[in-house]
Amino acid sequence: MDITIKNLTHLYHPNTPFERIALRDINLQIKSGSFVSVIGHTGSGKSTLVQHINGLLKPSRGEITVGDVTIKAREKAPRLKDLRKRVGLVFQYPEHQLFEETVEKDLCFGPMNFGLPLEEAKAKAHQALKLVGLPQDFLQRSPFDLSGGQMRRVAIAGVLAVEPEVIILDEPTAGLDPMGRRDILSLFERLHEEKAVTTIMVTHSMDDAAYYSDKVLVMDRGQVVMMDKPEHVFSDSKQLKQLGLDIPVTMNFLAKLNKKVHGQSVRPVFSIEETADAAIKMLRQGRGETGHV
Amino acid sequence: MFNIIIGQYVPGQSVIHRLDPRAKLLAVFLFVIIIFLANNWVTYALAIIFTLLGVFLSKVPVRFIYRGLKPIIIIIIFTFILNVLFTKEGELLVSYGWFHIYEGGLIQAVFISMRLLVIIVATTLLTLTTSPIDITDGLEILLGPLKKIKLPVHEFALMMSIALRFIPTLLEETEKVMKAQSARGSDFTSGSLKSRVKAIIPLLVPLFVGAFKRAEELAMAMEARGYRGDVGRTRLRQLIWSLSDTFLMLVTLFLTAALFILRG
Ligand SMILES: Nc1ncnc2c1ncn2[C@@H]1O[C@H](COP(=O)(O)OP(=O)(O)OP(=O)(O)O)[C@@H](O)[C@H]1O
Ligand SMILES: [Mg+2]
Repeated sequence: MDITIKNLTHLYHPNTPFERIALRDINLQIKSGSFVSVIGHTGSGKSTLVQHINGLLKPSRGEITVGDVTIKAREKAPRLKDLRKRVGLVFQYPEHQLFEETVEKDLCFGPMNFGLPLEEAKAKAHQALKLVGLPQDFLQRSPFDLSGGQMRRVAIAGVLAVEPEVIILDEPTAGLDPMGRRDILSLFERLHEEKAVTTIMVTHSMDDAAYYSDKVLVMDRGQVVMMDKPEHVFSDSKQLKQLGLDIPVTMNFLAKLNKKVHGQSVRPVFSIEETADAAIKMLRQGRGETGHV
Repeated sequence: MFNIIIGQYVPGQSVIHRLDPRAKLLAVFLFVIIIFLANNWVTYALAIIFTLLGVFLSKVPVRFIYRGLKPIIIIIIFTFILNVLFTKEGELLVSYGWFHIYEGGLIQAVFISMRLLVIIVATTLLTLTTSPIDITDGLEILLGPLKKIKLPVHEFALMMSIALRFIPTLLEETEKVMKAQSARGSDFTSGSLKSRVKAIIPLLVPLFVGAFKRAEELAMAMEARGYRGDVGRTRLRQLIWSLSDTFLMLVTLFLTAALFILRG
C-alpha cells in the first residue's frame, strides 16, 4: 500500500486557547514495501504524523491517501475499519492496552474485531505469539502476570495477529533492555523482508534508524526537513546537530578514528561489521602514510 | 471530544487571574447565594453586569466560554420550556388547545434561566482563572477553622488537589487507550448500544490498572519524600491578600446590599 500525504496540517484543540499546530503543510510519499524511520526532536510531531496513517487523527487541512482510501480535511472519513485492519499501529508502551484475562483472549481481540470467527482468530493468535518468540504455554496466562518485556511482546503480537500490510511503530523499544530491543527490532526486520510489510518506525535511536531503514524522515517543529536514504541524511551531521539530533555511533566512531589517523573521509556505514572493515581499511591507510614519512 | 470547560484552567495574567483565590472563592460563594435575592429586572441586570464584568476583565475569549457552555445550554433551554409551560400566573398571552403561555410564566422562565446561566458562568470563571492548586490552597485556608472541630480539612484538600491534578492525566490516558484499542478495531462511536457498552471494557480495564499503579507510586513517592500529614507542615507558596482583593470583597458586599434594597 502506497502512502501519499499532501499539504497535511494538523491542529490540536482547534479554536480554543489551547490550539496548537502540530504539523505544518506536510508533503511526502512512502512506497509500498519500504522501511521508513521517522526521527526528530521531542515534540516535533512524529506521533501526530503516524497516527494519521490509520485514521486515528484526521487532517485539519490537506489530505492523506493510504492504498485506495483517501482521508480529506472537512470530509467524512470513509471505511476506517478496513483501513485499520490493513494498517497496524504499535504505540509507545503498547503493554498499556492489554485488558483480557488471558493472553490468548487478548490476542484474539484484534482479529475478532475485524470480523474473524473465534477459531480462526485463535489460529492467528497462536501464530503471532510464535512470531514474537514466546512459548505457547503463555496463551493461558494472565497478561498482567508477565514481565515488562514479555507484556510488550504480547501487545505487539496483538497487533501482528491481524496481519496488517503496513506496520507503524511508535518507539517500540522504549524502556527495554538491549537484548529485548534487538529481538523486537529483528522481528520487524524479518517481517519486512519476508512478507514485504511496509514498516514505519518512529525512533529516538539514530543507530536503529540508520541500520534498519531504506529511508529516514527527519522532522522538526511539525515540518519535514529531510526524507532520504540514511547515508545521505546522516552525512550532514551539522544540520542534524542543529535539529537536536546526532549521527549513528558507527559514524561517530569512524569520524573520530579518521581524525586520529588522518585518513580519507569514509562513506557512511551503519552495521558493526562494516564499521570494523572500514576501521581496518582506515588504519592500513593511516599506517601506510606514516610509513612513508 | 473533551470540550466541556467546567473545571478547566486557562492560564493568564489578567486582573481576575491575579486575585487571591480566597477572595475569588468567597466572592463566588456569596454571589451564588445572593443571586437568589434577585427577583426583578433591575436586580437581574445588576447580577448579569457583575458577571459580564468578570468575564471581560478575565480576558478569556468569550467564544471559548460560549463553546464550553453549549452542552449546558440544553439544560437551560429545558428549564426554560418547563417554566413557560407550567407557571400559570399573570395575563394569558398565547392559548392553543391545552397549550397556554402566561406572562408570569414567561418572565419566570427568563429569570430562572438567567439565574442558572449566571451561576454557571460565575463558577466557571472561577475555575477558568484560578489554578487547581490555588483553589485547594484557598479552600484549605478558608476552611481552616473547621480543623478545631476535628474535621480533616487538610486531608480533604490534599485529596482534592491530587484528584484535580490527575484529571488531565486520566483524560490523556483515556485518549491514548482509546486510540490503541481503535487501532485494534474497537469501535467506540458507532454500532448498537450493546456493542458500544462492550467496547468500554477494553478501555476501562487498562485505565483502572494504570490508575492503581499510579496511586501506589504516588503514595510511595510522597512517603519517600517524608510526607507525614498536616502537623507541622509549612507552605511553599504563601497566598497574598492585596488591595484588589479587598476591592472585590467590597464590590460583592455592595452588590449584596443593592440586591437587598432593589428587590421587589
Ligand atoms: N493530545 C494532544 N493535545 C494537545 N497537544 C498535543 C497532543 N499531542 C501532542 N500535542 C502537541 O503536538 C506536538 C507534537 O507532538 P507529538 O506527540 O506528535 O510529538 P513527537 O514528535 O511524537 O514527540 P516525542 O518524541 O516526545 O514522542 C507537541 O508540541 C505536543 O505538545
Ligand atoms: Mg511521540
